Amino acid sequence: MSSPSSSSSNTTTVDASTMNNRENHQKPIPLKGRSLWSDAFRRLSKNKMALTSLIILGLYSLTAFLTYSNIIVSDWSESIGPSYAPPSFEDIRLLFGTDIFGRSVLYKAIKGTQVAMSVGLIVGIISVVIGVLLGAIAGFFGGIVDEIIVWFYTTLSSIPNIMLLIAITFILGKGIFSVYLALGLTYWVTLCRIIRGEVMRHKDRDYVQSAFSLGASRGRRLFVHIIPNVSHLIIIQFSLLFQTAIKSEVILSFIGLGVQGTPSWGTMIDDAKLELARGVWWQLAAATLFMFVIVLALNILGDALRDALDPKLKGKD
Amino acid sequence: MHLKKTLKSLFKLLPLLWLAACFTKEGEDKGMKVFHYPVAVKIKGIDPIQADDLYSGTEVSRVYDGLLEYHYLKRPFTLQGNLAQDLPTVSDDGLTYTFKIRPGVHFHDNKCFKNSIGRELVADDIRYTFMRNADPKENSKGWWMIDGKIKGLDDWRKNPDYSQDIEGLKVIDEHTFSFTLNEPFPQFLYALAMPFSFIVPRECVEHYGQEFLNHPVGTGPYTLDTFNQSNKIVYQRNKKFRDKFYPTEAAEEFVKRGLLKDAGKKLPFFDKIVVEVMVESQPRWLKFQDGKIDFIAIPKDNFSSVLTSEMELTDEMKQKEIELLIEPSQDVSYTAFNHDLPLFQNKKLRQALAMATNGDEYNKLFFNGTALVAQSIVPPGLAGYDEKFQNPYRQYNLEKAKKLLAEAGYPEGKGLPEITLDGTNSTDARQMAEFTKMSLEKLGLKIKTIQNPWPELQNKIKLRKGMMHSIAWLADYPDAESFFAILYGPNGSPGANGSNYNDPVFNKMVKEASTMQDSPERTALYTKMNRYIAEEVPVIFELHRTSVVVQHAWIKNFVVGDFAHDRSMYINVDTKQKERLLEEKF
Amino acid sequence: MNIYSYVLRRLLYVIPILLGVCFLIFILFNVVAGDPTLVLLGKHATLEQMAELRHQLGLDRSLFMQYLDIVKSAFTFDFGRSWVTKQDILYMIKEGTIPSLTLTIPAFTLGTILAIIISLFVSLYRGGKLDKSIVFFCIALMSIPSLAYILFGQWFFAYKMDMFEISGYEFGFPYFIPYILLPGIIWVIISLGPDIRFFRTVILDEVYQDYVRTAKAKGLSENVVLFKHVLKNAMIPIITYVVIQIPFLVLGALLLESFFSIPGLGGITLNAINSSDFPVIKAMTVLSAVGYILFSILTDVLYTVVDPRVRLK
Repeated sequence: MSSPSSSSSNTTTVDASTMNNRENHQKPIPLKGRSLWSDAFRRLSKNKMALTSLIILGLYSLTAFLTYSNIIVSDWSESIGPSYAPPSFEDIRLLFGTDIFGRSVLYKAIKGTQVAMSVGLIVGIISVVIGVLLGAIAGFFGGIVDEIIVWFYTTLSSIPNIMLLIAITFILGKGIFSVYLALGLTYWVTLCRIIRGEVMRHKDRDYVQSAFSLGASRGRRLFVHIIPNVSHLIIIQFSLLFQTAIKSEVILSFIGLGVQGTPSWGTMIDDAKLELARGVWWQLAAATLFMFVIVLALNILGDALRDALDPKLKGKD
Repeated sequence: MHLKKTLKSLFKLLPLLWLAACFTKEGEDKGMKVFHYPVAVKIKGIDPIQADDLYSGTEVSRVYDGLLEYHYLKRPFTLQGNLAQDLPTVSDDGLTYTFKIRPGVHFHDNKCFKNSIGRELVADDIRYTFMRNADPKENSKGWWMIDGKIKGLDDWRKNPDYSQDIEGLKVIDEHTFSFTLNEPFPQFLYALAMPFSFIVPRECVEHYGQEFLNHPVGTGPYTLDTFNQSNKIVYQRNKKFRDKFYPTEAAEEFVKRGLLKDAGKKLPFFDKIVVEVMVESQPRWLKFQDGKIDFIAIPKDNFSSVLTSEMELTDEMKQKEIELLIEPSQDVSYTAFNHDLPLFQNKKLRQALAMATNGDEYNKLFFNGTALVAQSIVPPGLAGYDEKFQNPYRQYNLEKAKKLLAEAGYPEGKGLPEITLDGTNSTDARQMAEFTKMSLEKLGLKIKTIQNPWPELQNKIKLRKGMMHSIAWLADYPDAESFFAILYGPNGSPGANGSNYNDPVFNKMVKEASTMQDSPERTALYTKMNRYIAEEVPVIFELHRTSVVVQHAWIKNFVVGDFAHDRSMYINVDTKQKERLLEEKF
Repeated sequence: MNIYSYVLRRLLYVIPILLGVCFLIFILFNVVAGDPTLVLLGKHATLEQMAELRHQLGLDRSLFMQYLDIVKSAFTFDFGRSWVTKQDILYMIKEGTIPSLTLTIPAFTLGTILAIIISLFVSLYRGGKLDKSIVFFCIALMSIPSLAYILFGQWFFAYKMDMFEISGYEFGFPYFIPYILLPGIIWVIISLGPDIRFFRTVILDEVYQDYVRTAKAKGLSENVVLFKHVLKNAMIPIITYVVIQIPFLVLGALLLESFFSIPGLGGITLNAINSSDFPVIKAMTVLSAVGYILFSILTDVLYTVVDPRVRLK
């Protein structure tokens, strides 16, 4: 599916086509893995925005870890005041007011970080594992294997995402694991396409051929020689998948398929659709703000990574 | 306010918006009485035998009529003749009901009739309507109501042939018809006022076939103009509607509200009804406040912007001359245990869980205190309800609940598995489930809430999966029997009894009451049953809700009520007042 | 290989994909999704009625036959009637397509043009403060959840400011215009971020190519180079990007439709899901799959037309 409703999937398509196009009209520039990365770090460390984003990402991850291990906001579910108390500066917990049950909206938003970060991370990992594995196999072996994998992902991507998501949660039942799997199983296609294309280009390169002549096995050629050379694409995609997944959680909550039982930004925004008309804006504000910051950071980081890692834009500074 | 006006006029200057304003179709309704009616769900179609909820029942009632109807302004609800001239004469054995049909009632003009002119309604239409309701191919949602009741109809159903005669459905002459029942069935007359038994013409059903759902042809006050499931449904006044007049009698409360001003005037009042489908509550509420729709049931989160804590309208509302209508609904919401599980055979456990949920708090949070905490299953307004009765297991007391839980064999919840609680996937339902979860976890239980799309929840209940689920039940007719049915053992899933509660003692009482006519004895039995159920706690009773509706001052004669499906024909609008108010206050 | 045989080959490729789509639909809705008759018959259903309805809907036939039915409908486009509204499904889809397209096409066109203009403008100042702040702004726009735009836009601009209709829809030109203004604007805002970001990358990709340097060395002005050469070459990926989105426009915008009461296909789909109306769900899935495949073929063909260097394989 498409539309602003999930600008998320738009984003994914965007980058799919970027990569695809590049694959077609770009001339290969052979590069050694190490110099690419050290070069990238040099560029990245000069980019203040990217560094800030990295720090934000670190802070969110830390928050997520701390809430997961119940070190902070373990008492998020306790009422601290009346229902829908407006924000005030008296008490840190009241910074974003309270929700219908009088619980601290700030604490809920912090607790929600755990869901968001875990969704981003796990969905990213699932997609990367499936996408890279299938893409690499298809690109490397070609022939009938390639045909089957391409058929599989074309079929999958021609079905609107929303239908797949609904169907998968239908089968797996509800809960956070379904959210991980449903998103992970639908979002790997883009990466798979990119990796397949890249592997196809790389496998005929001199360095792979020479590894072959030195007696490297097929698997070794693929995973030791080729994959590291396309790893920058994986990193860039991962940062995009991460934020797409966070945003998708909101859509899933809207259609009632979201995370159950613990607060998430999605359910908070879903609550807000009823509350806003009575003037309760703080739950929407808190969830949007928390989400805005991390998604923004991830986007900037993704851009910076691309600039730093994509050899073609090297002449830029 | 001043700033808003300035900004408004400033923005109006923008050419794009000015252009857009030229395109509005509003001009075409000038001078007409139009009812702007909001609806929160998508209407599936307008066929009497498919109308199993309040919303589709309302739509069906605009186009179709039944033999009987509820008096618009009498409370408690009273049946009276509609297409039938009067209530039927009943034979001495209580089994045969004979109706005189009102002469001169015509169906809407439609191309399925000869010369496209609606013909007169005759007794045979009633026979056809009930056969159609029984025909398995039609998948009627109303069959349960007369299942096993009408003589010969159940046999006919096995091999439906419309030319056959059925003993229980007899055409005596063009305007006389009689029903014969298998055994006494005190609720039978209610069945005739339900949308399922509204009269349909055979030619049209056959002419439109499957599409009949979208081409309703009846005898009612309105004809369907446009039908778009997810946008709007438009009706036009039936110009040939029979002489039907606004009632001249009313219950005390309605007389006080001045609802008899239109007494004796010809119905209906509106020239046109526009039913606007708005699924999300924000646009519904904003459109009401803008005067674009005429009334609205207050969404839970808007209570505080409408009502003060004394249950009066806020000044902002008063300034717009908005009016408030409150009437109890005949319903009960509850959280059911799945009695198929041995776990919930433990009465003390059920009582403990019921005691741990704070009904008053729940009422305050989700209904602004307008609802009534349910003590048992029968809602107020029906025989069997006892105002003074307080169910000891519905008085929130965490300490006692903990004690009960220990007596049940699970001290502090030890030994209990994780309990799943299913509900629908609306935002409200999610928050309510969260409330129940929070309450029960104070007892030491582990609760997992699950949100389901409606079909999935239905599936789980009907297939007896899941452990607990939240649901609400609306009366089908004003008789407590409608509520006892949801706990009657033989009605277990996939029937109406989703909790699968099966208690021989209770079943026996239901069976005994089922053939009793309305009488003090039956009321006494109902009261006893209601108390019995309160003690047993087969489900956690939550609330009896109240309809809280706000309407604009220009709407007249509006009455809230669960069985007033056909209210749109009685409602009137003061167009001058509307113009004035819209000009001055909005 | 010439272009015709290429197109033919790609069209033949639709068959295995459609078969795959059918198989997925079959697994999801006929095998694992549970019994739809429970929902269709309402709260007082009896076992006998359920059996009868299952028979009428053909759900008591062998799974293989049910699969064949789906395949047949996918290739004939005869989806039958909705289980719930009893309307002909193709008719329902036709009715829903109009509102969806009246919302999405103008918004999509406007959004794309706006994004191209802005990104060209931005690339003139690449690396500068303006470029950086616009890119930042775009990313910021993308980072706000779409529900927040809708809720706030409707409450503030439509209700408080009275600038737009709150919700609703009228069929027929030009009556629909007032109703699509606000959702259209929200659409543009939401899509602007990713669009600009993408177009800018594509244009910059070209700017750093050798030929641009050559052209500049020959003394052509920056603007001429940008508009004449760069835009022409950047058009390829831009077209691809734009065309592949078109089939999704038909599905409309689920959230926008439900908040603004626009009776489009998004709403029809959501409604079908909420009432177990499997034939409608299947039809929507098959049709969008077909649309997706056809437009991706179209993209590839356009690609070769715009840039003959691209080899067909």
